Amino acid sequence: MADAPKEISLTVDGKKVTSPPGTLLIEACKTVGIEVPSFCYYPNFSLQGACRMCLVKIEKMPKLQTACTTVISEAMTVTTNNEEVRQARKAMLEMLLGNHPLDCPVCDAGGECELQDMTFSYGAAESKFMEAKNHKDEQQWSPVVYFDRPRCILCYRCVRVCGEGMDVWALGVQNRGVVSVIAPNKEDHLECEECGMCIDICPVGALTSGAYRYKTRPWEMKHVGTICTHCGDGCKTTLGVRRAESGLQIVRGDNRDKSGINGDFLCIKGRYAFDFADNPERLKQPLVRKDGRLLPATWEEAFELIGKRFSEIRDKDGQSIGVVGSTRTTNEENYLLSKFARLVLKTNNIDHHRTADFPAFAAALAGKTDRTASMRDVFNAPAILLIGNNPTDQHPLLAWQIRNNVRLHRARLYAINCQPIKLRRQATNFMEIPSGAEGKVAAFLAGDDTAADALTSATASRDGWRQLREKLRTEQNLVIIFGSEIRGNDLPTLVKFGLAIPGAKFVCLGDYANSRGAADMGLYPDLLPGYHRVADAGKFHEEWGKIPSAPGIALPAMADAAKTGKLKGLYVVGANPVARLGFDPFAFSKSFVVVQDMFLTETASIADVVLPVANAYEKSGTFTNTCGDLQLLKKAGEVSDTKPDFEIIVRIADAMGFDVRKLVPFGTGTRADMGQSRGAQSGEADRHAVWLEAHGLEPKMSPFDPMAILDEIQRLVPGYDVSQINLLSGNDQHTNLMSQSAGSAAHDGSLIAPANDDLFTSGTLGRYSRALNSVIENRHLQPAETEVAAD
Amino acid sequence: MAVLKNIAAIAKGMSITFKEMFQPTIVENYPDGPGPLRGAKFQERYRGAHVLQRDENGLEKCVACFLCAAACPSNCIYIEAAENTAEHRVSAAERYAKVYNIDYNRCIFCGYCVEACPTDAITHGHGFEIASFNASNLIYRKEQLLSAAPAHLGANEVFNSADVAGGAPALPVPGS
Ligand code: SF4
Ligand code: SF4
Ligand code: SF4
Ligand code: SF4
Ligand code: SF4
Ligand code: FES
Repeated sequence: MADAPKEISLTVDGKKVTSPPGTLLIEACKTVGIEVPSFCYYPNFSLQGACRMCLVKIEKMPKLQTACTTVISEAMTVTTNNEEVRQARKAMLEMLLGNHPLDCPVCDAGGECELQDMTFSYGAAESKFMEAKNHKDEQQWSPVVYFDRPRCILCYRCVRVCGEGMDVWALGVQNRGVVSVIAPNKEDHLECEECGMCIDICPVGALTSGAYRYKTRPWEMKHVGTICTHCGDGCKTTLGVRRAESGLQIVRGDNRDKSGINGDFLCIKGRYAFDFADNPERLKQPLVRKDGRLLPATWEEAFELIGKRFSEIRDKDGQSIGVVGSTRTTNEENYLLSKFARLVLKTNNIDHHRTADFPAFAAALAGKTDRTASMRDVFNAPAILLIGNNPTDQHPLLAWQIRNNVRLHRARLYAINCQPIKLRRQATNFMEIPSGAEGKVAAFLAGDDTAADALTSATASRDGWRQLREKLRTEQNLVIIFGSEIRGNDLPTLVKFGLAIPGAKFVCLGDYANSRGAADMGLYPDLLPGYHRVADAGKFHEEWGKIPSAPGIALPAMADAAKTGKLKGLYVVGANPVARLGFDPFAFSKSFVVVQDMFLTETASIADVVLPVANAYEKSGTFTNTCGDLQLLKKAGEVSDTKPDFEIIVRIADAMGFDVRKLVPFGTGTRADMGQSRGAQSGEADRHAVWLEAHGLEPKMSPFDPMAILDEIQRLVPGYDVSQINLLSGNDQHTNLMSQSAGSAAHDGSLIAPANDDLFTSGTLGRYSRALNSVIENRHLQPAETEVAAD
Repeated sequence: MAVLKNIAAIAKGMSITFKEMFQPTIVENYPDGPGPLRGAKFQERYRGAHVLQRDENGLEKCVACFLCAAACPSNCIYIEAAENTAEHRVSAAERYAKVYNIDYNRCIFCGYCVEACPTDAITHGHGFEIASFNASNLIYRKEQLLSAAPAHLGANEVFNSADVAGGAPALPVPGS
């Protein structure tokens, strides 16, 4: 690498500032704590110079200069706060307010409006304008985007975030000069990805959100930073919560503080699709089947029945209960479920909806460290190879990272897909292949030249493929991202190719919020947490107790076993295999079926007992995103009379007469010993408990506290031994996938069923979101969308 | 000498006492006085129980901006906002207060809410007979705080009980 370029020094308000060449003056000022007010400037987007709020005095320049477009130069002397500058700011604000309505009391931005703040700090107390204001009615551009034209200050941030950031280009400017207006792409409405980034970035209340508008005010809400429960990317979302009749209601999602791996990015699902929580169909009472009908019952009744029936089946028929785990429950819950199945139900018949071949991935990377890329790496890598998947639809954050890496860092993107995916617009090389030929790509890259026969097409010649392979081989620190199309034996082939590239890292794309966590926590009939084989469970025998050593049966086989009467019980935790995996609902008519879910789904409606659960926004725990970044969930919403899956599993174990201390090691470990064990000084313990509560953590004194099992996970699951203090304070921690046992590449690939969600769907959960449904319905009313070219 | 001085001082003091003894009393005869206020008299600026005002069309002035709640030092104002629609218009602006409660267990009658209100919706009235045997009665809901609606809108059961008894159409009090 070349020597780092020489730093440039300048003076701002008498302070000495040194910054790398090319830094904008406004950014250089920030480094020494000098704020230059700005509206149109937004880091990482093209410069606009539209608002002239950032005017500063630079010596030897005749007029005031805009700090947001001026690049620093040696020995510059800048004044940001003299009378001339102050007058200029005042004038700019007066101009902006010239036709600005006095809407603050009803405006959604009130209290967090940049124009309010600026007027407060820099504005004049009164206006010289006497003219009547020019009013325009508010417009609804889409189910979630509203535009109030008089409030717009024409900073063009929305236009840039939609075009440059999202690559959608749905917003534009109409007319010129004082009559400019922001306009949507379809005359009076928007056809776009509905991400809401424009609403979020708008400094004022001109763009407002259909989900949040007029509901409350920013200071009235509690703001809880947690993790999105939809796709596998793990965006941090800050949920605004207010009191409601049935508990705590979530009214807003955004990430304005830019904490987390996603900065301020959220897609439509993270931003609006929290409303399933108050869907009227939400179950709020356990249901028990009596005389063929599901009737409301008490929790005690339900637990007693489950405990009795599960114990009977286990004791009489041995391995005849099947367990289906979830891809949206926390790592702690998945781990507990894995442990519960093996210790309490004494069976290995446990599985989940697999959306990627993580076991094969673990096996292929066995013994290697630092070979998995984090979500942050995707934004910083010099080159990316993307095989299969359509991240724009299925992994919106990943697509954002790739897009902006290409735009800001000039990363090279090599995309290989059987569809002309939207990310091809960012690609240095895009190769379209016949559908289903992804495995051949892996073979070809790994050196099998004959595989190229199946790959050539009009756009991708044999030579083209060879050149691509050569180019990839010369890359360094390449990030290789592949979808579920690469599975089974193709996966180690691709990994072998990648391992030969210095510093190359991998991302294996799984679809749901905690798909990766479900796999890592061993929701497999043949694998324990950390991809340890059940056959050689080693330390799990010591830590857990006796585990059955024969692998159990996988999901599809459970339905068959139920039909032949071999499977007598089924325990489904937050999954919908009937609808999503084509389970035959009648197969289980003779079995005892227990389902934990928020709604009466297709699977829940065949159950004998249905237990209403809290969703991921209503509990604490951790999620692992598809890259392997471990992040903390914090409880935001609350719906009374539901319970987290964690508590339910523990209670069922208790109802079956199992010693719950053997399941959840509560009251021990580092976090528990914050005074509690020092009996006499119990005041100390109380203070810690108060502190922990205040930080959204619960003191580890209850078997229902998911954090009680975190120590055990960190000890037993390879790669999860990340810094706990960092994790608990809300930072993402990359887990290093290093399989200590060999994992298992021999899984039947047909067990993997990709979710195939698009931007507006999210498995079974998405069906219960009003916001997503309204957007989908609205699309059906509109003619089909055509892709807009980037200008 | 000292004795004389003390006697003079006492005589001076008692002279005021005796003079006042024969003046007419100025204590108010509440609650046995005449009129609807039963003898109570107020300064105009007296800060009593709040009244939520209406505009000239009878619409509620409150736009649920939450500024009063934010200004309240004892945190006793609870609001839930909702959006006005063409079919259901409650205030003149985009939003209105679906729920507006003041907890008189906590209110200290400081008047900060009145000061904060951008639409002059919340004001202090002269109501002072708030005492109750039951603390939960002290949480006043919007329906109790709202000023009387103009006749064409119907009467408010809480405030216009006489009108309602006299046959005026009663405005229902939601949730009561
Ligand atoms: S955009 Fe800001 S200044 Fe304008 S009405 Fe809304 S809150 Fe007030
Ligand atoms: S919602 Fe997203 S895609 Fe739609 S206009 Fe706004 S920024 Fe563009
Ligand atoms: S709508 Fe908002 S973000 Fe867009 S130009 Fe106007 S003020 Fe700026
Ligand atoms: S990209 Fe994925 S994790 Fe992020 S907000 Fe969208 S659905 Fe949620
Ligand atoms: S009473 Fe006034 S200050 Fe309080 S919410 Fe209503 S409009 Fe706002
Ligand atoms: S911030 Fe510099 S011109 Fe707008």
